[in-house]
Amino acid sequence: MASLSLEGIQKIYPNGFHAVKDFNLDIEDKEFIIFVGPSGCGKSTTLRMIAGLEDISGGTLKIDGKVMNDVEPKDRDIAMVFQNYALYPHMTVYDNMAFGLKLRKVPKAEIDKKVKEAAKILDLEKLLDRKPKALSGGQRQRVAMGRAIVRNPKVFLMDEPLSNLDAKLRVQMRIEISKLHENLGATIIYVTHDQTEAMTLGTRIVVMKDGVVQQVDTPQNLYNTPCNLFVAGFIGSPQMNFLDAVCSVKGEDVALKVGQYELKVPASKKKALIDGGYDGKTVVLGIRPEDVHDSEAFISNSPDSVIESTIKVYELLGAEVFLYFDVEGVQMTARVNPRTTLRTGDKAVFALDMEKIHLFDKETELTITN
Amino acid sequence: MDHTQELQKALQELRRITGITLDVSVDSPGQAEQAISQIRCLCTAYKEKYNKTDFLQSLLTGGIPPYDIHERAARLHISTDDKRVLFLLETKATDDTVTEILKSLFPSQTKTHLVPISANAAAILCTIRSSETPDDIRNTAHAIVDTLNTEALAQVRLAYSSVIDTLAGLPDAFQEASLALKVGKLFYSEQTIFPYNELGIGRLIYRLPFPLCESFLREIFGEDIPDSFDEETTATINRFFQSNLNIAETSRQLHMHRNTLIYRLEQIQKRTGLDLRLFEDAMTFKVATMVINYLHAERNQ
Repeated sequence: MASLSLEGIQKIYPNGFHAVKDFNLDIEDKEFIIFVGPSGCGKSTTLRMIAGLEDISGGTLKIDGKVMNDVEPKDRDIAMVFQNYALYPHMTVYDNMAFGLKLRKVPKAEIDKKVKEAAKILDLEKLLDRKPKALSGGQRQRVAMGRAIVRNPKVFLMDEPLSNLDAKLRVQMRIEISKLHENLGATIIYVTHDQTEAMTLGTRIVVMKDGVVQQVDTPQNLYNTPCNLFVAGFIGSPQMNFLDAVCSVKGEDVALKVGQYELKVPASKKKALIDGGYDGKTVVLGIRPEDVHDSEAFISNSPDSVIESTIKVYELLGAEVFLYFDVEGVQMTARVNPRTTLRTGDKAVFALDMEKIHLFDKETELTITN
Repeated sequence: MDHTQELQKALQELRRITGITLDVSVDSPGQAEQAISQIRCLCTAYKEKYNKTDFLQSLLTGGIPPYDIHERAARLHISTDDKRVLFLLETKATDDTVTEILKSLFPSQTKTHLVPISANAAAILCTIRSSETPDDIRNTAHAIVDTLNTEALAQVRLAYSSVIDTLAGLPDAFQEASLALKVGKLFYSEQTIFPYNELGIGRLIYRLPFPLCESFLREIFGEDIPDSFDEETTATINRFFQSNLNIAETSRQLHMHRNTLIYRLEQIQKRTGLDLRLFEDAMTFKVATMVINYLHAERNQ
């Protein structure tokens, strides 16, 4: 397998569209890297530049230390899996997987060995004689993966490979891909706009927006310490709640005023606000739905972070309940225990876990406290 | 096999290919051999003349008169009344790998025809069911591109025509797909698939004559027509347009103070006379930059 290095990678199309700006990333051997971001953020373009399917406008791409900018795609030793995989309809599963190798004039015995090995990894051994029509969606996707595996490439590039599958199959295939990564010990770069896929599969995640890398980190760190408002809002479902708050410093105490509420800032967050000169300024307070509590015990222990509202929507998801309500005209979500007695229309009291709040500069949108 | 049997077989083959029935009588084995040879030559010549690929190539370029299409298509067992879409594929070089993959992707030789156009282009004429929607056709286009990307690791661009009801519409479909490829590469170069019906304003601009484009630009910019804008200005303008002329959103996306953005927009106004904050001026500017790109591309060609 292989390591990759992307240094100052740029993509500017002839019509002036600047799709990727100054992309820098080092990918270690056997890493599972996820590019995630909204549509048009440049994640697929970056992947296609690594594959050689798009020319690189600026910067350097290295695979195993060798500059690859001008190397033909077929000589980069990569394999791709796309969303719109099309299997050859008249060929069996075996032939579908063998086809690419036959085109490369690989000896028959070697093809046979590679196809059977890939079939074993993907649990397709019993389906090798079947035609695509006789396969389920998940099995077809596994065949598409098999076509990539038989090449035994240095790097696997996957561009939203699960997008065409239904929700249940997607969960199954996610597990399959995760197992595949462990079994093959492969370097994988995976593009998705689905943050659940990103969080569950990746060893590291690259969050992109408008062609710019926002943050590169482990799933846990991205969730706990987002570097800006975009990452904070993009990672996590339901997304983080955001409220405008005015910072007020009185001696040693720092408070955040959200409309009629005055929330006391804990010691761990104070220093950044004081040192940053935020006294009197508006900042953005972010808090995840699971850090908004409705339990009496928590509320009585946190008298300085209590808010009140009326429940607008009650959503029971089985293991948890989402409560939607407004605070100062902004919709908020709380993720609470399903044993809650609160229902739509009820007056409710919540307490925010102030140790878990995130604070962002209103103008630059960068984190203040992380 | 004796000569008489062989002769009968050759005559049957001639009838199968051409529809012509010949009555041949021979007096000696030598005469039979000569007749067989001549019949085989006739079959070969006919095949060459009425080869599917040759026929479709000529038809694409309008080289077959409408009155001849039906008859020649029937001889080649090509249905004339199927609904079809023409995909036009451009790669860096259409090598054997690309051709093999396409043949395997569309194995039915009666429903799909692969027609080489040049060293780096090929047309794929696909029959479609009447129930197929524009989304289905788009999915087929994506499947072609993604399969070639995956299997051949080839850089590919694909344009496709609107749906045609009869084979007589093929020359028009070819023109549509060719135009879509040109316009797509010029105005929407970040994409790989260009449906003729979704070219938008690019298609309109591409059909404008040069003098009209030049007079339009002079009308807007006077004699000082900007060749191009620097990268930073282009990025600012593009982002401003993508953000629906919203100053706050653009400055946030560009990580730029709103006053800096306003200053830049004012500089553009000084240079061009167009206030991009106003919809009408923004629209004029957008069209004008597309026209400038078009003129540049055509002149460079």
